Amino acid sequence: MSRYNQMKHTFTYTLRILLYLILIAPLLLFAAYAFSTRWFFPQPFPVEWTMGTFQRAINDSRTLSSMAQGVWIAFLVSILSLILALPTARVLGLRKFRGRQLAWLLLFLPTVIPPLAVGMGLNILFLRIGLAGTITGVVLAHIIPTLPYTIFTLSSAFARFDENYEYQALALGASPWQIFLKVTLRMMTPSLVVATLFAFLISWSQYLLTLLIGGGQVITLPILLFSAASGGNPSIIAMLSLLFVAPPVMVIAFTARSLNQHGNEIREQY
Amino acid sequence: MKRFVFLLVVLTMLLAACAPSVAISQSAATNPPVTADAPTVAGELDLNNWDSVLAAAKGQTVNWYIWGGSDSINAFVDNFYGVALRERYGITLNRVPLADTADAVNQVLSEKQAGKEIGAVDLIWINGENFFTLKQADMLYKDWAQQLPNSQYVNWENPAINLDFGNPVENMESPWSSAQFQFIYDSARTNANELPRSYAELKDWACAHPGRFTYIAPGPGGFLGTRFAKGALYEVGGGAEQWLNFDQALWDQWSPELWKYFNELEPCLWRNGETYPKDESELVNLFANNEVDFSMTNDITGAGRWIADGRMPKTARAFVFEKYMIGDFNYVSIPLNAPNKAAALVLANLLLEPEFQAAQILPENGFGLGYAIDVDRVTDKTAQTALQNAAAKLGDSATPASDLANSLVGDSAAEYPNLLEQGWQENVLQK
Repeated sequence: MSRYNQMKHTFTYTLRILLYLILIAPLLLFAAYAFSTRWFFPQPFPVEWTMGTFQRAINDSRTLSSMAQGVWIAFLVSILSLILALPTARVLGLRKFRGRQLAWLLLFLPTVIPPLAVGMGLNILFLRIGLAGTITGVVLAHIIPTLPYTIFTLSSAFARFDENYEYQALALGASPWQIFLKVTLRMMTPSLVVATLFAFLISWSQYLLTLLIGGGQVITLPILLFSAASGGNPSIIAMLSLLFVAPPVMVIAFTARSLNQHGNEIREQY
Repeated sequence: MKRFVFLLVVLTMLLAACAPSVAISQSAATNPPVTADAPTVAGELDLNNWDSVLAAAKGQTVNWYIWGGSDSINAFVDNFYGVALRERYGITLNRVPLADTADAVNQVLSEKQAGKEIGAVDLIWINGENFFTLKQADMLYKDWAQQLPNSQYVNWENPAINLDFGNPVENMESPWSSAQFQFIYDSARTNANELPRSYAELKDWACAHPGRFTYIAPGPGGFLGTRFAKGALYEVGGGAEQWLNFDQALWDQWSPELWKYFNELEPCLWRNGETYPKDESELVNLFANNEVDFSMTNDITGAGRWIADGRMPKTARAFVFEKYMIGDFNYVSIPLNAPNKAAALVLANLLLEPEFQAAQILPENGFGLGYAIDVDRVTDKTAQTALQNAAAKLGDSATPASDLANSLVGDSAAEYPNLLEQGWQENVLQK
């Protein structure tokens, strides 16, 4: 029996290492390209290592400012789409009403309509009302693709939500505001974190809508990345890609921790 | 519930109020003259009084929309023009990197459709079809290029300058640099004595080394491939001069010869010509990774920029055929609704400054394209020396200037590239 356990243990352990390798291999390849130059076939490994690409990327003020701008936009998009999605998802998840299917369909249209079609028309509209080329315009445009995902995440959580907790709090004399903060939000926290994460990642990686609405005045990292990719230099593409994955990885690491902690807290409460 | 809704509204308004304030401070930082300098927007600049242009440009930010695919070109633009604009004229350079110049054209066209009188784009690095599109849309600032003080160095009589892909420039764009088609080989792999020196010799070479040559598919994005094919047309089709003006009969007479040449070449190509690299970058990768022996370039520094970018081995060298190496110029243009026209004019003028023209051809500076000015027109002695020194320092990876000059021919009329690209698809690729 213990031998069987040991085998099982080794097996899961091997699988786990394999999984980590698969996850980390592309990043290692990127790092190899980013910190080397003139790596041609048939050399199996880079021979000319260099920090030059890294230094150029960091010294270019555009790199850091585009990252800061991208994070700021993604932050605003996350908050705004949460504010819009929370009441929508509550109704869609908890209530049955005539036209519910239609509402679903309308809210999910952005996932099937090509962003180019939306972006071109939106750009003209935003140009007319003075939103094109501004951060506000880009944030509003980013909400289009993020909203379906935040609504979907939150509404499935609301479908499992028991309103009786709220009634109980009301019966115990809590104010509506207290109920919202201490009961509803508290119980929804894990889903809220996941929804925020979706919104952040979708906004952070937007290229087309940022390009169309930003019109070159709002520059985020994907804009730099696509422009570099058009030149085909593997070193600079790999370097920008590494910078591109850094904030999402950090956000995921952070939220994974808070989700775990929250999970433990909930278990403690019951 | 009412309070909740109220709170939502307040929160949304707060966010909405905070977001634009960021955007406004942002655009205030980059575009102060939009509100401050109304006359420049209305196009009331007096180009005959250059000092007034300089005065209007001071404090402006010039939004230069420029292809951003080359790390070394980006660095050159920031380190040379960016610094000079700030220190000499008090102008901030905002280089907007594009994946495709057509993105800038689309931006301007969208602005036109939306009726925006003050756009976002001040200057575009442009030529050929993109220039033609904006010109047709009547979205180009007019009557300025020859009014620039440094325009005196430009030989506007030269049809290669006053025609852009056969389309009259008509004072709506100002040249920045020149280019000439060349091949690249690796001196560590190929002996210089064995290099082909004509399209006929190239075919023999390719069939003697099967699979070691390919060319970029002529077509959109495959600009160098179109140029390669046009050179072949000149050689099989009775010289370069007759192609300067469009003549359908001439095309019908000679194009079968061209398809014959390419179809005979095809079985000797990389992957038997079943597929072709679609742009310069793909061909460079094939060359650098030892799959084919020749690459192509437009740079006066030959392989210099590719070596500096780490995309080619240091032993890469440029070479030309004896004839039919097509050369041309590229330009900058100002959209009609550019918000900072004065600063754009100052930058366009700076590009032609002999000192910067000398800097742009040096391989170590990373730009790699040639002069837009006629060196003989520069009278200042120091500038003259700088230009001559720069030309002498192009390095081993460039083609000698005399070889370039001897093989140089002009581009064909604007109608031929389309015919050629379509015909190549039908008669070569799909056959």
